Amino acid sequence: MALSVADLDLRGVSEALARRDVTSVQAAEEYLGRIQQHDRVLRSYITVMADHALARAKAADADTERGRRRGPLHGVPIALKDLIAVAGVRMTSGSQLYADHVPTRDAFVTRRLHDAGAVILGKLAMHEWAFGRPATEGPFPTGRNPWDIHRAPAGSSSGSAVAAAAGLCAGALGSDTGGSVRGPAAMTGLVGHKPTYGLVSRSGVLTMCWSLDHVGPMTRSVWDSAALLQVIAGTDPDDTSTRGAQVQDYLGGLEAGARGLRLGVLRRFYVDFPGLNDDVRAAALTAFETLRAEGATLTDVDAPSLDLSTAAWAPFLAETYEYHARNLRERPEGYRESLRPRVYMGALVTAADYLRAQRLRERFRREVDALLERVDLLVFPGQMTPALRFEDFPMSGLAPASMRYTAPWNLLGLPAVVVPCGVSREGLPVSIQIVGRAFDDATVLRLARAYERATDWHTRRPDPTRWRL
Amino acid sequence: MTDDHRAQFDAECRAAGLMLSARDRELLFDMWVDWLPQRDRLRAEVPAPEEEPWR
Repeated sequence: MALSVADLDLRGVSEALARRDVTSVQAAEEYLGRIQQHDRVLRSYITVMADHALARAKAADADTERGRRRGPLHGVPIALKDLIAVAGVRMTSGSQLYADHVPTRDAFVTRRLHDAGAVILGKLAMHEWAFGRPATEGPFPTGRNPWDIHRAPAGSSSGSAVAAAAGLCAGALGSDTGGSVRGPAAMTGLVGHKPTYGLVSRSGVLTMCWSLDHVGPMTRSVWDSAALLQVIAGTDPDDTSTRGAQVQDYLGGLEAGARGLRLGVLRRFYVDFPGLNDDVRAAALTAFETLRAEGATLTDVDAPSLDLSTAAWAPFLAETYEYHARNLRERPEGYRESLRPRVYMGALVTAADYLRAQRLRERFRREVDALLERVDLLVFPGQMTPALRFEDFPMSGLAPASMRYTAPWNLLGLPAVVVPCGVSREGLPVSIQIVGRAFDDATVLRLARAYERATDWHTRRPDPTRWRL
Repeated sequence: MTDDHRAQFDAECRAAGLMLSARDRELLFDMWVDWLPQRDRLRAEVPAPEEEPWR
């Protein structure tokens, strides 16, 4: 096979399959070979589903032979964060407590992916219960950043980022409660999309905070994320948050460009934040000028409640504690020491704190709704810093300062995507973030694609020869 | 941090029904003290009547 799928994005794999330049079995075998070759260092997979994947790939190839391609994901090998259920395959959530947990039903998104012909290669590493810290040791290491294996890919969807960036799958799904899709995507040069809350079902997905959890794609290009979203979006009777899901055509308008779009730059809170890394700031400002050159108009805007967003995010940890209370009481040793106090903090949230946070969330929503009447989208740097070395990663504290770049948008449930916009002086990926109106994920993706089309950052790949410890 | 902080923390743990090991108690105390300024900010805000809880 002359063609290497590892060099391609999901779209490239999909088109190669459609042209029959490669079969799904060949593609799956190449990814499985790369996992065997590189994942002893990168540690992106918790469970590799080789037999399952090859059986699905064979079925996809048979369908192709019969002229029955099911769509762009047909035969495409992807992977899932290990809190998304695949029936009969263990699902650990990165926790010793769930080391032998085997769900009996597919998650809604898994069913949708199977129905679309996707081939699931395996279950990906993650921070413990989507709220732990990076770990290089122990039963569930969280993965190493393929751009520099001595750095963390951030989390909690760490394995999803590592596998997609390193070409150990064509794309991945993660989950995002305070930035867990966008953070790792930004640190590894990927597109990471947190869809509108209620657009993608979380049934069969383990919980961190019911009212802030989102499932979303992590991929090498915007088209890839749009194609995955098209398949996983929609109403699910088993997740009441999706009752009002408004599904759009995410691929149809992707090439419409930036011309005519009004962008609001959240300058005070994000660009001018003293903690923002200089390289990230410089790359973001250059990216905004690129968007202007592509025909968008840019205006500085502000939402004063952003200053309260971290304070308003934390009381939702009462939901996390409620979910874990019994296990923590009966088997506290089943949680890493670094995670336990963060979960216990949820027990110290009073009902009054929780309701105050809900009311401030409403204030914040009103401010941002007003902004999104004046502009179509909000833009700002996608992360506070490039990827950190493991020893520099904050291991104490409830919510790191970097969460200001992501968590406010979980509170509002608005669609948010990070797209790579450069590299730091150390050669590490950096990104911008784009936020849009509820259920207008298509416009968010359209602007991301317009930026991507004008630049080549998304085509850069980490160097496998450096994946040696 | 002060003795008042310690007493307040102990009272909140009791009210929450938390039974912790000595190690977890210390880790949680450090995190709680670190978090207090944010919580104070939250509690100092006075929402307007129309700022109803998220529905």
